Amino acid sequence: MTYSWSSLTLLALCIALTIAVVSGRVMKRHASFDAYLRYTWIFFLSFTLAEFVSFPIGLWVLALLSFWALREYFSLIDIRIQDRLGILGAYLSIPFMTYFIQIDWYGMFIISIPVYAFLAIPLFITLAGGEARGTVFSVGAIDFGLFLFVYCLGHIGYLLLYSTWMAAMLILAVMLSDAAAGMVRTRLKPPIAQVLGTYCLSLPLTVPLSWLLSPWTGIPVNHALVLGALIPALVIMGRQTIDVIKEDLGIIDEELLPGRGQILDSMKSIFYTAPVVFHYIRYFLK
Amino acid sequence: MFGVTVIGLENLRQVGRFIIIANHNSHLDICLLFSMLKIADISRTHAVADMAYFSSSRLLFNFVTFLFNTVWVNRGDTSRESDPLGQLKSLIDDGHNLIIFPEGTRGKPGELEHFRSGIGRLMAQYLEVPVVPVFLMGPERALPKKSVVPLPFWNTVIIGPPQVCRGSHREITQTLEHVLAELARSETARRHQRMPVREKAEEKTVTVAFLGIDGSGKSTISRMTAMELSESCRVCLISDRLELYKQGNLSDYQPLVTEKIREALSRYAKKAQSLKLYKIPKLAELLLRDYLRREVKRWYLADVIVLDGSPLLNMVAWAGLYREKPMDDETYSKAIAVLTGGEAAIGEHDPIYTQFPELTVMKRLKLTGMELPDAVAFIDVSPRLACSRIDARGEQKQVHETEEKLKNLRVGYNMVCDTIKRRYHVPMTVLNGEDTQEHIVSAALDFILSSLALGE
Repeated sequence: MTYSWSSLTLLALCIALTIAVVSGRVMKRHASFDAYLRYTWIFFLSFTLAEFVSFPIGLWVLALLSFWALREYFSLIDIRIQDRLGILGAYLSIPFMTYFIQIDWYGMFIISIPVYAFLAIPLFITLAGGEARGTVFSVGAIDFGLFLFVYCLGHIGYLLLYSTWMAAMLILAVMLSDAAAGMVRTRLKPPIAQVLGTYCLSLPLTVPLSWLLSPWTGIPVNHALVLGALIPALVIMGRQTIDVIKEDLGIIDEELLPGRGQILDSMKSIFYTAPVVFHYIRYFLK
Repeated sequence: MFGVTVIGLENLRQVGRFIIIANHNSHLDICLLFSMLKIADISRTHAVADMAYFSSSRLLFNFVTFLFNTVWVNRGDTSRESDPLGQLKSLIDDGHNLIIFPEGTRGKPGELEHFRSGIGRLMAQYLEVPVVPVFLMGPERALPKKSVVPLPFWNTVIIGPPQVCRGSHREITQTLEHVLAELARSETARRHQRMPVREKAEEKTVTVAFLGIDGSGKSTISRMTAMELSESCRVCLISDRLELYKQGNLSDYQPLVTEKIREALSRYAKKAQSLKLYKIPKLAELLLRDYLRREVKRWYLADVIVLDGSPLLNMVAWAGLYREKPMDDETYSKAIAVLTGGEAAIGEHDPIYTQFPELTVMKRLKLTGMELPDAVAFIDVSPRLACSRIDARGEQKQVHETEEKLKNLRVGYNMVCDTIKRRYHVPMTVLNGEDTQEHIVSAALDFILSSLALGE
């Protein structure tokens, strides 16, 4: 079988990341960078699997990632014993949503979490009985986790369905913006300067990237440029929000471990980017 | 399905033989602990479990014995002949390791129960065997006490440094309990917590009022008293300004709108040119002070509120100033009754309403919900001294600060204090305002603490 250049590049990227991750294990670089690399590698693994083996397999790898993030989140929040049925419902909503992505049923996918899961989970919580006090807080915490870690990540799955390189471009652009944000964070102190600095530093990286990749992603040039400008803004917004949530959950950067916020911290830029980019592409291009 | 994060594994690996103690909140605990051992150690490590709980089914019994090399202990057996620790001791003699849950049973999720004495008794005889404390966080959610189905949750295993026991068995139990509690506390300190449930706070707030004519020094005295009291509790001072004291220092507080309005009113009142013009703003300011007192009680949760002039009593005493003829004790008492909302005891057409039409107005406007302070201290000075002090302040004199009017006011205050002491049984003391400030303050403090010791 002959593969196109785009597919081969994807494979090459994945292999490069694999080497980076493995060597990271051996050389033990900065811990959070290693973790970040590891989760980016998982994304690319899923994309490569979708491209070369079959789409559902790649998709379910993404669902697995969603599961890990959700599990970590649930371990960090303060939930009551009577919420367990709701938690079970939350975990089960991952395959529920992913199935609709697999069969390309957009209508059900887009409401599976916001309507069905958000209706079912409070019901499950109340079914468990027990004290009513604190139900609203539990529902709020669980729903928020579902929204960020399942729904927003699910959009990447749907993007993968449209085109593998669209998803890959998204992740690459997010990586570049993250790199810019990381460089700016240690150097500039006032928040306004940080925001502007990150944006201006990542623009010359993401805009050419999306422009150059437009033949592979299938996005026309003008939209590619807009996306290139949009993604850093979304990354900044996402990082800002998730950073404060991390502080609320008691996650500190020096002690990141899986189960203690590492997954959350590594993927924090993607939660805001994925849905907006997906809907942009869907609106203008489909 | 169950992610596990282990912190401090080197603490376990560095000892050759050990006794693990861990908190017990779920049946998953033992699985987690076993998964951390080296392969070679598994056959030599034994879990200690209660026979009665697991004997319900033969299959379960054998299963648990097989998996965890369990040593069965009869928890409820207190007869002299059986030595429940005997098996454990013989195992330790042979060089085996043990896993013990000193709480004895699965506790409430997230809480550490009191340690049973068994661990102390055991370790007292084997002081050289290192005890490794382990704190498990996560199994109490994954498989809580009454659940059958485990849910995916991250489990965190924190292994503390190995301890060497010393002392009597009671001391050992206590030390180990502290160690595990410390481990638990350091891990859960940052944990996400919802808003704590606000219990209905009992009305423990005590109000102390300092009365006195202008120039008696009550502002200064009340401030100093407030600062002294705040060494041991939260104190709020309502005088010309609202101040919150903690440990003798002024502390920040969230501003209240009422306070801002009151300050504006009080400034306006002080600039009044005649007694008549002074009346309404001052009345309004006093009402606002009372409202402020209620707000402070609710929002600041102060233990003591020190008032520089009680709004209720000031109002009543001032009424005497405004009526040229002197009032008697009966009138004062009725006025206080009306203002505190207890006017049901007085008839509707009582002459007091004709004497003070303001009371009728206030009643109609439902402004009569004031409260008597819990203790009153009246600072008594001669009007001459008061006037000289006012002159010494150098500010513009208020309209009522003449010697004659101050004399009337003093008489009025005296009578009011008398009334509340006799009719309303409010603890009252008269302080000599011509004394030194320290004496006055210490006398005030003595009075406050003694009169309120009954209540506090």
